[in-house]
Amino acid sequence: MPATPALQITDLVKRYPTGVEALKGVSLDIGEGEFFGLLGPNGAGKSTLIHCTTGLAQPTAGDIRVFDHDAVHHYEQARVAVGLAPQEPNLDFFLTVEETLDYHGGYFGMPKRERRERSAELLNDFSLTEKRNDRTRTLSGGMKRRLILARALMHRPRLLILDEPTAGVDVELRLELWHYVQRINAEGTTILLTTHYLEEAEQLCDHIAFINHGEIVARGTSGDLAETYGVRSLEDAYLALVGRKELSRAHVAVDVP
Amino acid sequence: MNAAQIRFASLLRREVNRFMKIKRQTVGAPLLETFLYISVFGAALGSRIHHLHGFDYIVFIVPGLIMMAWATNAFSNNASSILQQKFQRAIDDQLSSPASPGELLLALTFGGFLRGFMVATLTFITADILVGIPLRHPLVLIPGLFLVGLFFALLGVLVGVRAEQFDDVSFYQTFILQPLIFLGGVFYSATLLPEPYRTLTHLDPVYYMIGLVRYGFLGYTEVSVVLSLGFLAVATAILLGVNMRLFNRGYRLRA
Repeated sequence: MPATPALQITDLVKRYPTGVEALKGVSLDIGEGEFFGLLGPNGAGKSTLIHCTTGLAQPTAGDIRVFDHDAVHHYEQARVAVGLAPQEPNLDFFLTVEETLDYHGGYFGMPKRERRERSAELLNDFSLTEKRNDRTRTLSGGMKRRLILARALMHRPRLLILDEPTAGVDVELRLELWHYVQRINAEGTTILLTTHYLEEAEQLCDHIAFINHGEIVARGTSGDLAETYGVRSLEDAYLALVGRKELSRAHVAVDVP
Repeated sequence: MNAAQIRFASLLRREVNRFMKIKRQTVGAPLLETFLYISVFGAALGSRIHHLHGFDYIVFIVPGLIMMAWATNAFSNNASSILQQKFQRAIDDQLSSPASPGELLLALTFGGFLRGFMVATLTFITADILVGIPLRHPLVLIPGLFLVGLFFALLGVLVGVRAEQFDDVSFYQTFILQPLIFLGGVFYSATLLPEPYRTLTHLDPVYYMIGLVRYGFLGYTEVSVVLSLGFLAVATAILLGVNMRLFNRGYRLRA
């Protein structure tokens, strides 16, 4: 009997009141334990797909299941199974670092003792213990990023969604985050990653899907995608997807005198 | 506690935590304002009016001040809290949690309700120490104040959800709420007004709320207590229904 997918999206349509159709019948399966990359240009529908999965947007049509739990109508179990680290740092400025984790755990129904233990563990893992009583607005950009990831992990989600987690962070923090998410993936957490850094996707992801104009246009390993587009690298496959083959590094190397 | 109770307690705790962290602004300032009303109106007008319907002028206006404290604090707390969270998108952490729309709505509502309760209680204690306030009909006062607080807390949630900028919140507060409260007879008895102002006052819903609370404290009223309570209960239920509908739809909260 096949394992239950971590995320199963079927014919997902999202039409905004403005009439813009951000998702045009997307179907996507992500297996349990996978590290899955979703790549596409800005406005392709990546964040909308994530928002529909996490309840921040309401699908117009289609079905979303997280570990076989309905994520749209009877979403309680599905939401407990998902952790979201959003693209923009959306921390509550009234809370301290520790309160941010504690309240998040509370919103997800964790008892007090478990919240205390888990937040101490995450504060330590993300080098935030010394800052635990500081208000979130006083944190540096890198610390905010760490806290957002720690918050997403607070309730021990089985599916972690990372929406451009390393945008604007320095090299050390990027590598630190890579190591951390690789470790939790090895421990069994399924990960859905969106990123504009193709080397990040190549390095981390088992499978990758390209999304463009609200549709999944290709999926496979990075080698499969290069083959699909008849090119040599994931980057060139991506450039073919967005119709900018002329930007390929191979061309640049030849063109530069 | 089960998971749903922990969720609700955490959502409510967040709201109380917010206003307690800025208590100079959220509790201190309204208390000072009330103290100033009592001082200025009590000393200035009280020296000329002396008695209204058998009560010292200052005693006559305190029930209205208590109602006003609860109403404005419940309203402004919820409208500001929701709008701030929408701006920062911090509310997404709650919206993507397993909390139901009903749990979210009630927690946000009771945040402001509790702030109003706190300021109103402190106002009552201060006024009672300063001038002595009777408590004639607690069985009318308690449901009356409860409904007033709930009504304005729900109104604050509605405005906070609808608002797109802080100007929207201050518009409702400055141009609608304050005039309705001031013209509803906090500082005077409508019976003293000439026509057509007396009749116009009867069109102000806040007039009936003040009448209800004044009856609860002083035993004096110009309005029907039963009808006022009934209308207030119905209006609160309608507002709750409207908000519930908006939260279920995710109106201006979820894309």
